[in-house]
Amino acid sequence: MLRDDRRGFLKLFGAGALGALAGNPLTHALAAEPTAATDDFFVFVHCAGGWDVTLWSDPRTEATNIVDPPSTEFVDADALRLWEDATLDANAKTFAPIVRGNLRFGPAIGDLAAFADRLTLVNGVAMNTVSHPDGTAYAATGRHLAGGRSVASSADVCLADALGTSQLFPSVSFRYPSAYVGSMHDPRALPLRVDAVGTIARSLARANTTTNAADRDAVNVLLSQEALALRAASHGTTAANGYAVQVETLRKMFGGSLGPLFDVTALKAANFSAATYAGRFQGATAVNVSFAIEAMKRNLVRSVALTCGGFDTHGTNYRTHGQNLQETFDLIAGLLRAIDQAPHPTRLGAKLADHVHVLVTSDFCRTPGINATGGRDHYPNNTALIISPKFLGGTTFGSTRTSDLLPQNAGTFSDGVRPVGPPDVLATLLQAAGVDPRRYLRDGDVVRALLRST
Amino acid sequence: MRAPASLPFLAALAFANAGCSRPAEPQASVQEVPVTSIPGHESLAEDTSRKVEPRLLPQEALIRSYLTIFGDLSPLAMQARLRTGSTALFDTWTDYLGALGVPNYEADTPRTGQTNALMLAAFERIGVALCDKAAAADLGKTAAPLAQRKVFRFEVPTAPMSEAEFGVRFDSLHRTFLSYPVALAPADRTPRFFALYKDVLARHGAAPSSAFTATPTQAAWAAVCYGLVRHPEFHLY
Repeated sequence: MLRDDRRGFLKLFGAGALGALAGNPLTHALAAEPTAATDDFFVFVHCAGGWDVTLWSDPRTEATNIVDPPSTEFVDADALRLWEDATLDANAKTFAPIVRGNLRFGPAIGDLAAFADRLTLVNGVAMNTVSHPDGTAYAATGRHLAGGRSVASSADVCLADALGTSQLFPSVSFRYPSAYVGSMHDPRALPLRVDAVGTIARSLARANTTTNAADRDAVNVLLSQEALALRAASHGTTAANGYAVQVETLRKMFGGSLGPLFDVTALKAANFSAATYAGRFQGATAVNVSFAIEAMKRNLVRSVALTCGGFDTHGTNYRTHGQNLQETFDLIAGLLRAIDQAPHPTRLGAKLADHVHVLVTSDFCRTPGINATGGRDHYPNNTALIISPKFLGGTTFGSTRTSDLLPQNAGTFSDGVRPVGPPDVLATLLQAAGVDPRRYLRDGDVVRALLRST
Repeated sequence: MRAPASLPFLAALAFANAGCSRPAEPQASVQEVPVTSIPGHESLAEDTSRKVEPRLLPQEALIRSYLTIFGDLSPLAMQARLRTGSTALFDTWTDYLGALGVPNYEADTPRTGQTNALMLAAFERIGVALCDKAAAADLGKTAAPLAQRKVFRFEVPTAPMSEAEFGVRFDSLHRTFLSYPVALAPADRTPRFFALYKDVLARHGAAPSSAFTATPTQAAWAAVCYGLVRHPEFHLY
């Protein structure tokens, strides 16, 4: 009798909890089964070192409590195209915020301001850490490090596992904190980690002293045949079959349509101006972004993840922090322009931009106060920038306190009232991609307020 | 009436004692018979097929094989040899470790257990460097004496070879790289490699002599070497 009562209570309790969650606009509806976006692409950008959100996503122009707004005293304002002086005090100027629709930016937003209606800003992301490795892993995986190790896979790997195993390169990672943890993923989702496209190019470089490309191609044809023969004689066929397919892929990489994809010179001739590739801070990254664009156009990848460095500015190098941000956002704006013009590789008549999701993160943000050496230190707040056709553009979610730039409560989540965190951002992205977040993430609620209703 | 409590113990002791003192009997010998003479085994086929999927050898074993086959050298000595004259053939071993899928414990990167296209590209770059240098050393203008050759341990006739003549030399390479006679390999392997040999030989024979630093024969054997050092049986087991 007791058991029956207990079972009945649990049923009622479960139904009540389900109803409560489903009724909460913030959190995920358990009943809703996402539809997988099997031909979408994902670009992850991590700004390594911790960025200053007061220069772009959470602009501060008044000195309050511990907040020192960016000023001409500590920032090379002349290099920021959107900086317009505004009065701060007798010694320095600050900037006039840039308002685009519902969004307010700092001047480092650069060219990305033109895409304000497509940007989703999540401000006041609680990082609960000021350690670079921990913040980096938390932003990418939704879990803090344990014993110095990632304990969960990063979102790029999860999406490659869920949606990309049939791609030639399911997950390409250019110094991104990609993590492949555990044995639950398809081995093909293991990220292809490289420093830069040039690394791949070096693996493809050949000297034509003894043999030439035609000779080596003949060898590859033979090896493909030998692998197929091995497959026919094998109990299991996966390894030999994979070998044969990869040899054929290699032939394509050496010539034909894939050749320019791994040719740094060809990549530099596409997508961006020469000035972008010569950029002081992100010139080298531009080649990796160009690779991402070309690889998506050819339907060869599912996720490309890359890192933009140089944001850890504790001293006088903070003067150029804004320029670094501006170059990074210019690059992302260039990415958007390129995918706006490109057709989707498999959907007839569809635009590539309608199927590309971009997530930009950092380790954490920088202190609101300027330190003794003119820089800013580490601070446990953050911003996540999302550009996705599934997200509401021109939207800001979450906020920080005026007095100290710390995250404010963003609403009621399944575990109570709290600020938004990286697991919530990642869960929402997975949900938008049609992947059940619970399959990959331990923590995090889907923030439905960020998603388009369709 | 109940038996005394010590009776089972005494009985067991007597039985054990009898067993120990029994004289040994001669072992009955079992006559060996052909398996086909056993009823029900007249037409029993032996299943020699693989029962597991081929797997990728640990990358360290592959690198050790390269070092052993191509000169029994240390990694640095081999690297120096491959970069002699030109750095276009080979970078450094360190440059290839990531592409080959060697685990990186510093970056917490696990071992890659399956091949991928970039890994095959790295295998090719390494294989080309190793075979080109071996062909130059063993078959070049200043070829080493036969006893000192590391890979191509045979004389190459100046006249065109028949498939049989090619097969004898190919068998030597096949045993070196794949560790078994080519006679045990699928029947079409030798004709396939012979076709590759003739193809490269013809292409280089028609090219101007200044196009390559190697002779056509040297190039053709180098191509055969590429095919063996990158063979799926070399990488999978």
